[in-house]
Amino acid sequence: MLTREEAKKITDRVLGFTTFPECSVSLRNSETCSIRYALNGVTTSGFQVAQTVSISVTKDNKTGSTYLSEFDDKSLRDAMRRAEQLSDITPPNAEFMPGLGPQKYAAFDNFVDTTAAARSAEMIPAVRTVIEGARAKNLIAAGFFIRDAIVTAVATKQGLFGYERSTDSRLSTTVRAPDGSSSGWASSQSPDISQVNGAAVASAAIGKCDRWRNPKRLDPGNYTVVLEPTATSDLIQLIGFNARAAEQGSSYLSKKGGGTLLGEKLFPDFITLRTDPFDKRNRALTVDNSGLPAAPITWIEKGVVKNLQYDRYWASKAGKQPTPYSSRVILDGGVESLDQLIAGVERGLLVTRFWYLRGVNYQTLQYTGLTRDGLFLIENGKVTSPVGNFRFNESPVRVLQNVLKMGVPVRAQGGEGEGMIAPPMVVKDFPFTSVSDAV
Amino acid sequence: MINRRTFIGGASAFALSNRLFAADTAATQPSADLEKLGAIALNEAKRLKATYCDIRIVRTRAQQVSVNLTPERGTGKTLEVPYAIDAGSFGFGVRVIVNGAWGFSCSPFVNTAEIARITGEAVSVAKANSVLQSKPVELAPVASYKTRWATPNEKDPFTIPLAEKLDLIRAATREVKKNDRIFSAGARLSFRSEDKYFASTEGSSIQQLYLQSGGSTSANAVDSARGLSKSRGFEAPPATAGYEIVPVMNLLENAARIREEVLEHLAAPPVTPGKKDLVLLPTHLWLTIHESLGHSTELDRALGYEANYAGTSFLTPDKLGKQRVGSDIVNVWGDRTNDRGLATIGYDDDGVKTTKFPLIEKGIFTHYQTIRDQAHLIGEKESRGCCYADSWASVPFQRMPNVWLEPGPRETDLDSLISGVDDGILIDGDGSFSIDQQRYNFQFGGDAFWEIKGGKKGQMLRSVAYQAKTTDFWTSCDAIAGPAYFAQYGALNDGKGEPVQLNAVSHGCSPARFRQVNVIRTD
Repeated sequence: MLTREEAKKITDRVLGFTTFPECSVSLRNSETCSIRYALNGVTTSGFQVAQTVSISVTKDNKTGSTYLSEFDDKSLRDAMRRAEQLSDITPPNAEFMPGLGPQKYAAFDNFVDTTAAARSAEMIPAVRTVIEGARAKNLIAAGFFIRDAIVTAVATKQGLFGYERSTDSRLSTTVRAPDGSSSGWASSQSPDISQVNGAAVASAAIGKCDRWRNPKRLDPGNYTVVLEPTATSDLIQLIGFNARAAEQGSSYLSKKGGGTLLGEKLFPDFITLRTDPFDKRNRALTVDNSGLPAAPITWIEKGVVKNLQYDRYWASKAGKQPTPYSSRVILDGGVESLDQLIAGVERGLLVTRFWYLRGVNYQTLQYTGLTRDGLFLIENGKVTSPVGNFRFNESPVRVLQNVLKMGVPVRAQGGEGEGMIAPPMVVKDFPFTSVSDAV
Repeated sequence: MINRRTFIGGASAFALSNRLFAADTAATQPSADLEKLGAIALNEAKRLKATYCDIRIVRTRAQQVSVNLTPERGTGKTLEVPYAIDAGSFGFGVRVIVNGAWGFSCSPFVNTAEIARITGEAVSVAKANSVLQSKPVELAPVASYKTRWATPNEKDPFTIPLAEKLDLIRAATREVKKNDRIFSAGARLSFRSEDKYFASTEGSSIQQLYLQSGGSTSANAVDSARGLSKSRGFEAPPATAGYEIVPVMNLLENAARIREEVLEHLAAPPVTPGKKDLVLLPTHLWLTIHESLGHSTELDRALGYEANYAGTSFLTPDKLGKQRVGSDIVNVWGDRTNDRGLATIGYDDDGVKTTKFPLIEKGIFTHYQTIRDQAHLIGEKESRGCCYADSWASVPFQRMPNVWLEPGPRETDLDSLISGVDDGILIDGDGSFSIDQQRYNFQFGGDAFWEIKGGKKGQMLRSVAYQAKTTDFWTSCDAIAGPAYFAQYGALNDGKGEPVQLNAVSHGCSPARFRQVNVIRTD
């Protein structure tokens, strides 16, 4: 992996190849080791090294961009010429923002050496635990164990230089009955690979598969649901706070007739949603995607919309400070366990996770998607029987408005998206619109 | 003016990737330099006791120009926001089989020492993983080829001056913005090339050039008083072709059309939900084909290899040759050879010569999409050439070929489909899409919807989506328009696998009619 000094040398070299007044460079270097398995055996796996340098040059507000994977002087110089030539013929960008000067970034390093050093031999034991656990129950496991180490660096002609490195690891598994009558899923993720617990993942996925056999069919309709943390994450990670869309009338945060809902109380008192790039449970983030120092932001505080996200351009027009962007989302929860939440529900459905969520209306944030790998009926505070999957059409905004109770938040990541720190939660009136035969 | 000669011939003449893949359109044999590099991996793998090895040395290039016209905050003045990027990536990936297990490694440093080192890494990965191998990998036989192949094209898109491309999309956005009620406008042209060299211990040495071109324009309108925002887009059929397809996109004419239609969309009433007949245009139906029939006929899904991510399939191997998927008029092909298909290529990433094969015949599921290490699992003797990796840094695996729906009789036209509908909806363009992990239950939106009443196309509607079960939906297909209406659209970013990889794939069809589908009203 590139050290700070090595990364700086490269970005300095790139910046030195242009005479344009504006140039920004970002560098990414990664090492990834992964094991993929299915049908109780390893299938495709690999060790991958990758690097990319991205360049944008601007003169007279005209910008050209390129990226490349070759870092020798000749290639970098050629790439710079290419970007400069693009800039020459591109019309001026009316929204161009000059490059940032030096910034003060937090000294936060969530880089775990054992994660960065792990190779197939170190990762196989966790996979073996899952496969052998499934086989012992006459079940079939498929899954994926990946760890990566990533270095990113940013630099501008105005003297900005930022460097960060991070590690992360994630094991997820799906355990299925050989006759296709049941399926269970679980995952574990951490910047520290030693915290990824193969036995816990195996036990949770096998348990789900055992309990979900031969689900019964219920009618679609509105149900009270208990969302496990992954299901919460699948939905709530879709909420954004873009100021421009809100002001321009195309967001759930737009006010009818003009203006935004900033400062309005849209959610119950106990809803606080924030981003924290320095939460140790997540991959480290110190530099946001525009070069600003990452910082914790509270978006919803006790039900009130507290902040909108202004990028540098929109902030300059609105007379505001730009908002550092961070995808490290945290929904503050409560103190109860999942079991305690279930115990408080008279009749409802317990959702393991959702799948294939796609936007139906980007203004209201209505999404459609399906339940997957474990849906159960709750009656009088107890999980009583497996239920067949449903499709839903719902907005995560309405979901947050309909939350009745939340439990202890944990890091969760489903099949799509980065995931978040999410609590289990009880939500009323969740609209399931059709049944799915999928198992 | 800049053209490819300036970019490549001048500035980058000595860069390794450009030298290795130097264009020589008349050549029929792979570059000798590439062959030398490839041989290093194959020899090193043999030395390390690998029973199979392949290497892909790949250079990709992606060029995109886009323009957005958007109102300035506070003044409403129209601002132009252009974006232009011309970028590339270069590296190699080595795949080996050792002790019956796959191993893979890759690197962006293309030189002899690194190729040998990375081959050793791939062998180490295979050895480590072989302790948990359930069955040894078995590869279907393949012929060996020493050849070159290139996407048929009339004009290399990278030789066309960027100024010409920018002029076209700027004109398209201005056309959309001619009406003051348009909030914002956009247009884009994109081009991608993939120079790929493949060599394997089966004796193949194959150099290919893949070219892809596409373009679009879009319009957005907002009614703040009613709290509504609507869009309308035109996506030209993306294709493996050169710049010759750009003039026939008719971007300006389509820009003028969507300008009017987005305002119609904004004013349109919401749909009344219920069971309705649908007439689906190729601009829309391609995506329904993709999700419901394309993915369900992938053998790796059916066998459980994708169970942890993309899912499995309701079309399990016991249903091969028996399961009714659609009505008698539904005939569907898997095809990596068809003209301009996004998945069209000469040879796949297993080194298998690509082909065309039936997936569904007269409504019955008859074949799967396969690759070399799967064919034997369903008793087949050879691969159907569906292996692909989206980068030199990715592991090749089974990806979708172009999957297309056979047109109906010559005399069936779009008007006859519409005239046969009493209460229905005509849908154009793709919108929201979602399907379960076994490809039973799906829901699709669209880009524009028109009411059909008493056999006639009526007013535009909004907030439309339909939900169905794959087999119910395709069994309800009672008419498909003739070959004159056949058009091919597709996806540039179909995700599958872990880590996820993107595939470009086309789906051709003629307009088709479906009876009594469940239509819902969305937000």
